[in-house]
Amino acid sequence: MDISAQIVESTHEIFSSMVMMEVALHGVVRDSMAPLTDSITGVIGLAGTHKGVLAIHFPETVAMAITGSFLGMDVDEINEDVEDAVGELANMLGGSVKAILSANGKDISLSLPSVIAGKSYDFQPTQDVERVVVPFTCDAGEFVVELELEK
Amino acid sequence: MGKNVLLVDDSSTMRKIVGRSLRQAGIEFDNIFEAADGLEALEVLEKEKVDIVLSDINMPNMDGIAFLREKATRDAIKNIPVLMISTETGDDIIGEAKSLGALGAIKKPFTPDKVNEVLGPLL
Repeated sequence: MDISAQIVESTHEIFSSMVMMEVALHGVVRDSMAPLTDSITGVIGLAGTHKGVLAIHFPETVAMAITGSFLGMDVDEINEDVEDAVGELANMLGGSVKAILSANGKDISLSLPSVIAGKSYDFQPTQDVERVVVPFTCDAGEFVVELELEK
Repeated sequence: MGKNVLLVDDSSTMRKIVGRSLRQAGIEFDNIFEAADGLEALEVLEKEKVDIVLSDINMPNMDGIAFLREKATRDAIKNIPVLMISTETGDDIIGEAKSLGALGAIKKPFTPDKVNEVLGPLL
């Protein structure tokens, strides 16, 4: 199974068990991404035998809906709960990817997650990396998971 | 007297989800205490009666492994059982946690059924 298929499987497992929401691959896996608008991104770094970054990018409306589902409450603004939920989703995805890339994940360390949010920003690697950009859809809308690994 | 649990995770979202999963699994506690890292967890354990701790591993300030190591040095709290709940499930890190007294681990993501399967027999 290639890495994008495993990202789809891991994302599906995390959303169905923790967010109580079904997600599905939406369109074609790419190696680039347009600038983001009115969005929030959860990021986690990987170090060790594989070095890189895993990120999950949500439009604000989708992030609020997912956080609401996560916590079982209405969420109508980008607040600490949304930032925390997006960071935790990145953390869980990082844990899954780590286990995919290294047996039991023992040769890879994860950073603590960080969150970026803004009206308009560009999330781009500054070096030549292997980049997998996986688009998803769910009841709340569309979002993207991406993995950048040092070549 | 009922039982009390301490949830240790730097993510407030995850603490809420673990609490919800306990309820969905049919596991009732009289009190659910929360801590955002190992340092806060030690403070709670010194002050409150806690029957079991559910702890993350990757946390700022004091992570789950350092928490277990420090807890083991304090006579008043060293025997309180700890179960790890983490994205970290490699044999080496879970082995280290068990060597420091952890009873086992639940991998994130988890379902209420999984929580019940692992935690139920410990209560």
